[in-house]
Amino acid sequence: MSARLEARPEIGDGRILLPDSIERGSLVHVRTLVSHPMHTGLFNTPEGEPIAAHFVDEVVIRYGEETIARFRWTSGISRDPFVTFPIRADREAPLHITWKDNLGGVFEASAEVRFS
Amino acid sequence: MTAPGGSGTLAEEDSQTPLVTHSVLPSLSRRSFLGRLLPALGALLGLGLLARSPGVFAAPARNEPSRRPGRTDDDEPSEAVKEVLRGLFGDRPIRTGHVQLDMPESPPDGRLVPVFIESDLPMKPGNHVKAIHLLVDKNPDIHVAAFEITPAIGLASIDTRIKMRATSHVRAIVETSRGEVWWATKKVFPATNGCG
Repeated sequence: MSARLEARPEIGDGRILLPDSIERGSLVHVRTLVSHPMHTGLFNTPEGEPIAAHFVDEVVIRYGEETIARFRWTSGISRDPFVTFPIRADREAPLHITWKDNLGGVFEASAEVRFS
Repeated sequence: MTAPGGSGTLAEEDSQTPLVTHSVLPSLSRRSFLGRLLPALGALLGLGLLARSPGVFAAPARNEPSRRPGRTDDDEPSEAVKEVLRGLFGDRPIRTGHVQLDMPESPPDGRLVPVFIESDLPMKPGNHVKAIHLLVDKNPDIHVAAFEITPAIGLASIDTRIKMRATSHVRAIVETSRGEVWWATKKVFPATNGCG
């Protein structure tokens, strides 16, 4: 788990949660979270200024060397996207997630799959 | 909450059943009118005709199928949704089944609507779910998300949170590597507009 130290740390703080003990070959539920406003571009500020669309539009999930999933999102995903999905934990390898947003932001997090 | 939109017609109608209209009931003095009206109403209620008569009761009752959370009687997709489906799946049939879509029926906050999707379709190399699509009929972006997965995921299961603009059908559509398309639909009634 790591948070990139950006000029705006409140965006892009990515987290991956894995269970404490993982059995080889089991189905493991992975919980992921990234802080991101996911602005739709349809709201205005209280002063009436439009808030530009700013949202994660692509998520790439790698398990070791293999890309195992790719998510394509619109701003219809809630703010601070929280997604849970399983993986078949068949090898000890890092699980790596990259979140990319529509304004060029790139955020990453990793967690090690280790068998107990 | 928005009123039920669209045609206002009721599903699964028996077109042979004649509708009751005002002209059937004679205009008489109040006493005799009620004396005739109430038994007539009773008979018609018993036959189930009165409930289906838009001429007598114009506004949809609260209990009508299209307004009950979770029911999908009026889930014929709109043209805009059909176009999204055509763009994704061409003219492949979309079948109901193999997909579980769980959501709260009346989420209090349209910005944070939980979605739980799971499919029991296999995840073997050569025969696996390759994508889970999430559509919300009334959102600014109907095709809210596509979750493309591989057998390494182990089970086609996604939990997340979405925004909803208004009362709408939500559709979880699963596409397999063999080209099969299966879906589940749920009508959800968010209390607020989460999209702007």
